[in-house]
Amino acid sequence: MTTTTYVRHTSVTITQADPVDDAHPLGTTELARAAGDREEWVVALVETGLIAPAVPGAPQAQWVFDGEALRCALQARRLQRDFDVGLDAAALIIDLQREVRRLRALVGAAQPQRPAGG
Amino acid sequence: MDFKDYYSALGVDRKATADEVRKAYRKLARKYHPDVSQEADAEARMKDVNEAYEVLHDAEKRAAYDALADRVASGAAHGSAGRSAGTQGFTPPPGWDEGFDFSRARHGGTAGPADDADFSDFFSSLFGAAQRRQAQQRQPRMRGDDQHAAIEVDLPTSLRGGEHTLQLQAMELDDDGQPQLVQRTLQVKIPPGVRPGQLIRLAGQGLPGHGGEPAGDLFLELRLAPDARWRVEGHDITMKLPVTPSEAALGAQVRVPLPNGDEVEVTVPPGSRPGRRLRLKERGFPGTTPGHLYLELELALPPADSEAARAAYEALARASTAFDPRSALGASA
Repeated sequence: MTTTTYVRHTSVTITQADPVDDAHPLGTTELARAAGDREEWVVALVETGLIAPAVPGAPQAQWVFDGEALRCALQARRLQRDFDVGLDAAALIIDLQREVRRLRALVGAAQPQRPAGG
Repeated sequence: MDFKDYYSALGVDRKATADEVRKAYRKLARKYHPDVSQEADAEARMKDVNEAYEVLHDAEKRAAYDALADRVASGAAHGSAGRSAGTQGFTPPPGWDEGFDFSRARHGGTAGPADDADFSDFFSSLFGAAQRRQAQQRQPRMRGDDQHAAIEVDLPTSLRGGEHTLQLQAMELDDDGQPQLVQRTLQVKIPPGVRPGQLIRLAGQGLPGHGGEPAGDLFLELRLAPDARWRVEGHDITMKLPVTPSEAALGAQVRVPLPNGDEVEVTVPPGSRPGRRLRLKERGFPGTTPGHLYLELELALPPADSEAARAAYEALARASTAFDPRSALGASA
């Protein structure tokens, strides 16, 4: 006989799903919370140039960020946590990862297609 | 649920120092990094390694895990399953985490949600619920953590929008403070025009808050299912357009079904070569600067499988004896 973990199932229908973009950006607090860190850390990311507010030159109190900034912030946080890298090194690694993915997509597109039905 | 051996996941023994754990983790994190590794199961291995490190690099979690492992080894932790010596059918005994504190802020900020979608049920049932319970005792009113996950859709869905079903598991506390694994099925309505890599935010669908505070948000990263027919760069889409040699040489009007479901008639200019790109203006992803859809010509050869087709190829060969497709290959000597 085995003790099993009780699993409760729920089903939720979502009607409201917003892309994180220029029309629905994240504030500094929201970005910090979504990336699991503090606002000062977001400010440090901006100072490094790793992310940029959606409106260039806006005062700090009015900063808003798009989804790409959140993706970069999550990657940077992971790199800092796992490898203790500085933010400059994290920025370089993220740029290189982006380039690798871009090149892989090109290589993938250049592969000859297999005829359907083999 | 199986009991997980985190030490073997990192390839260290139980006496390993914090420094040895960190070094072992970093080595494996490089080896199995999805952008670097050629191994087929790299992603799964990376998850195991991440999870093991999450526990073993944290002195409190490691101590609690060690104590639990001792109880498992002595057969005391299985409840009714404890009489079988194996580590399958494992359920953490009540109060296993007493005296250990997982809720302190770490990593220079917060500890982050313990039941990250990437972690196993085993991890979530130990640390997810315990961490939440301890945080709740410390801070009875707290907004729920944000959660992150990825969904994979095809290009037509990302252009037109559509519904996508996903399942999320999280360890939540019931009204009595007991942990239970909650599986949620979400029907997500994806808005049209979301590009690969873009994030969708579902407000209030993250981890539940407590003390009357709201739930966190759920962020979904949209990924594109691999498809050799097209690729996406920024707002632009490139799609392969097969044409016959006669269409490429003589020019043609061809009907082209587009990934958003529309169909357009496109003029292939005479004398086109494979690789030529035709631009359909602003037919890419929408935005303040809408992207374009590029059609990249590739040659599709009609098979010489009938008398008429063979005769046509022979006539073409006779008519183009001056054409040497290999002229650039020859040695200059």
